[in-house]
Amino acid sequence: MITQRSPLAAYDPTAFWDEMFSAPGVVRPHYAALARRLETLSAQEVTRRQRAADLSFQARGITFAVNQDPSGLEKIMPFDLVPRIILPEEWERIERGLEQRVRALNLFLHDVYHEQKILGAGLIPPELVLGARGYRREVRSVEPPLGVYTHVVGSDLVRDHRGEFFVLEDNLRVPSGVSYVVENRRVLKRVWPQIFADYPIRPVEGYPQELLTVLREIAPPIADAATVVLLTPGVHNSAFFEHAFLAKAMGIEMVQGSDLFVDDATVYMRTTSGRRRVDVIYRRVDDDFMDPLAFRRDSFLGVPGLLATYRMGRVSLANALGTGVADDKAIYSYVPTIIKYYLGEDEIIPNVKTYVAADPSERAYILEHIAELVVKSVNASGGYGMLIGPHAPKADRDEYRRRIEADPRGYIAQPTLALSRHPSWSDGSLEGRHVDLRPYVLFGKEIRVTPGGLTRVALRAGSLVVNSSQGGGAKDTWVLG
Amino acid sequence: MLCRVADDLYWAARYVERGIAVSRLIDVTRHLELDVGTEESDFWGPLVGAIGLSAEDVSFFLLSDEKNPDSLISSVRHARELARGIRESISSEMWEELNTLYQSLALPGAERRAQGDSLSFQRLIRERLQHFQGLAGSTLAHDEPWHFLMLGTYLERADGVVRLVARQAHLLAPRAEEETTDADMVRWLAVLRSCGSAEAYARFYSLRVEPIRIVEFLLLNPVFPQSVRFALGAADDALSAVAALRTAAGNEPGPGLRTLGRVRGEVEHAAIDEVFEAGLAEFLFGVQRSIAQVSDEITATYLRDEPQASRLVGVARAAMLMAAQQQQ
Repeated sequence: MITQRSPLAAYDPTAFWDEMFSAPGVVRPHYAALARRLETLSAQEVTRRQRAADLSFQARGITFAVNQDPSGLEKIMPFDLVPRIILPEEWERIERGLEQRVRALNLFLHDVYHEQKILGAGLIPPELVLGARGYRREVRSVEPPLGVYTHVVGSDLVRDHRGEFFVLEDNLRVPSGVSYVVENRRVLKRVWPQIFADYPIRPVEGYPQELLTVLREIAPPIADAATVVLLTPGVHNSAFFEHAFLAKAMGIEMVQGSDLFVDDATVYMRTTSGRRRVDVIYRRVDDDFMDPLAFRRDSFLGVPGLLATYRMGRVSLANALGTGVADDKAIYSYVPTIIKYYLGEDEIIPNVKTYVAADPSERAYILEHIAELVVKSVNASGGYGMLIGPHAPKADRDEYRRRIEADPRGYIAQPTLALSRHPSWSDGSLEGRHVDLRPYVLFGKEIRVTPGGLTRVALRAGSLVVNSSQGGGAKDTWVLG
Repeated sequence: MLCRVADDLYWAARYVERGIAVSRLIDVTRHLELDVGTEESDFWGPLVGAIGLSAEDVSFFLLSDEKNPDSLISSVRHARELARGIRESISSEMWEELNTLYQSLALPGAERRAQGDSLSFQRLIRERLQHFQGLAGSTLAHDEPWHFLMLGTYLERADGVVRLVARQAHLLAPRAEEETTDADMVRWLAVLRSCGSAEAYARFYSLRVEPIRIVEFLLLNPVFPQSVRFALGAADDALSAVAALRTAAGNEPGPGLRTLGRVRGEVEHAAIDEVFEAGLAEFLFGVQRSIAQVSDEITATYLRDEPQASRLVGVARAAMLMAAQQQQ
C-alpha cells in the first residue's frame, strides 16, 4: 500500500506502459519489495547514494568520450539508482526470441556470402543486400569458424503501451555497453546493498569469461593454445573504457593496430620479447578500418595484410567481417522473412513496423507522414542521423524529405513508439522516464544470452532518445531467478 | 608484453617519480624561504636550475606551470594520460589512485589551493604519488610490467639525484671544509632534504653535516633507496629480468644491459675521495650520460620494436580517426 507521505504517492504512470506501476498507486507485484524500500528512503539519503555512485564511476574512470567533441571531455554515463526488474517468464521469452533471431541472422549472413539462396528465392531484393554499405564482397566464400559471424550481438528491445516487447534494431558489428551492465550492478551493490536482500537476482559478472570462451572456440584449427587479443581504436574512442575493462577481465592483451603486423600469412604482435603469434582478434574497429591494403587506405587503426590472412583462415575475427549487411536498417524489415526462411518459424519477438524508403510506395508514405514517423539513416547508430517527426521543427522535416528523395536506399521510417517508462530519480522525486533494453547475446558453439542487459533511460522529461551520446542514462537491470 | 604498453609503463613510472622529486623540491624551497627570508633570492635558483626567480615564481614554475613539462601538475597529467591508455595492464587500485588525483587537480579551485597553501597542496600530491608506487609493489605481480615500472622509477631517480648534486657541485670547488659558509650548509641540507634523505643521513653520519659526506651518501650509499648507487642497482636488476625473458624467447637482449651494468659497476666501486680527485663534475656528467644512453637503448630494443606507423601520424588526426570508430 502506498502511503501519502511516500515518494511514490505523487508518481503518475500516465498512459504509457509503466514497468513498475499498473495504475496510479498500484505497484506491480514483483516491484512491491522495491517500493517498500523506496518509501523509507529520504531525499537526503537518495542524494547521498547518488553521489556515492557518481564518485565511484568517476574514480574508476568509467567514462565515455562524446563523439566529435573537440574538447575530448570524458563524461560519466548518468546512473539511476532505481533498478529495472524483469520477471523470469518475461526473460525466458526474450531469451528464446533473441536466440532464434541471432541463429537466423547468422544463417542469412552465411547464405549471402555463399550460395545466396534467399536472393534466388526472390524474398529480398538482391540490390538491397548486395548494395548495402555493410556488404563486403571481399569475404565472399570465406568460411568463418563454426559458421558463426556474429559472436557478440546487442539487440535493442522496446516495449509498447501494452507492454509487448519489440526488437527496435540489431547491432551486429561492434555492439558496446556491456561493461556498464557489469559495472552498474557492482556500483548499485556498493551504494545500496540493502535492496539486494529482497530478490533472487541472476548474476551478470560472468560475461567476460563467457566471451573469452567464445573467442577461444573460434580459434583457427592451426592454433593449439590460442592467443586472443582485443583490438581497440585507442584512447580517444568513445568506448575505450569498455575495451580496457573487457581486456582486463579476460586477462588478454589490448592491442592497437600499430601493435600488430602480418608476416608470412600470420598476424603477430610486437612484444618486449619479440614477435608473438595472434590467433583471435576481438576487434572494436569498423570493417572499413581493419586493413588499409583492402579497405580505407588512410587507416592506421588496422593491420596491413589482415584481410588476406583472415581469408586464409589463419586468424579469426570477432565479429566476422561483413556483418553490417545484416544490421542494415533496411534489411531489418526483412528479419521476420529471414527467420521464416531459414528456421521455418514465426518470430518470437516481433519487429517494429518499418517503411523502407527504397520501396517507391513506402517512400511515398514516409514523405506524406513524416510528421508522425521516426526517420533513421540505415547505417548510423548512437542516436545520430535520425529525425523524430512529432518533435522536430518543420525545417528539419523538410531537410529529411530532401535527403530521402536524394538517397532513398539510405533511409527507413518507423512509427513513433510509445516507449515504456520506468520511475527514475529526478530532482528528489520519482518520475517516469522512457526506457529500452539491450541484452547481449554471445555465439560460439552455442548461443547464450546474458541475463539482464543494459536498460537505457532517457533522463530528459518526455525524451525518447536513450543513447548515452544524447543525454541518456542507465539502470541496473535485474532478471529474477 | 606489448612494446607500447612497456613504453607507457616505463614513462608513467618516470613521471610519477619525477613528480615526487619536484614536490620535495617545492617543499624545500618553501622551507628555505621561511628560514632565510625572501631577500636571499638566489637561494633556490641553483636548486631548480633557474636564476633570478622569486620564491613565488619558483613555486609556481615547479608546482602548477603547465608550460613547464616537468612541473608537478604536468607530471601528474602525463602519468595519468599514459596510465589511462594501459589501464588494463596495471591494477585498478593504481589506476584509480592516479585518476582521482588528476581529477582533484582539474576541479575548480585547485588553482587557488595551490597558490594559497602550496606546502600542504604539494604534500597531498606527493603522498598520492608515493601511494601509487606503493600500490605498484603490492597489487601488481612482480613480473614484466612491474619490472618496466621499476626500470622507469629507478632510472628517473638516479638521473634526478645526479642532476641535483651536479647543480650544487660548484659550491664544492674550494673543497676545504673550513671555507664552507653557513649559507652553503643550509643549501646542502636542502639538497639532502629534497632527496628525502635527511633522516637517513643523520643515521649514517650522526650530525656531521659535511658537504662531501652528503655527496657520498647521495651517490654511493649501498642500502638507502634514494641513493644513485641503490637506484642503478635496482634498475639493473629490473632490466636483467626483462632481458632474460627476451633471451629465453631467442632474441638479443640489446646493448642497454651492458651500458647499465657498466655504470652500475662504476658507481658501486667508486670511493668518494677518488671521485673528488678525478673531478666530481666529470663523474656526474659521465653517470648522467650513461643513464641517457641506457634509456635510448632500452627504447630501441624493448619499447619500439620497429618504427611504428601510428607514432608518426599527427596527434589530432589520430584522435579523430579513433573517435570516429562507431561503437554501436
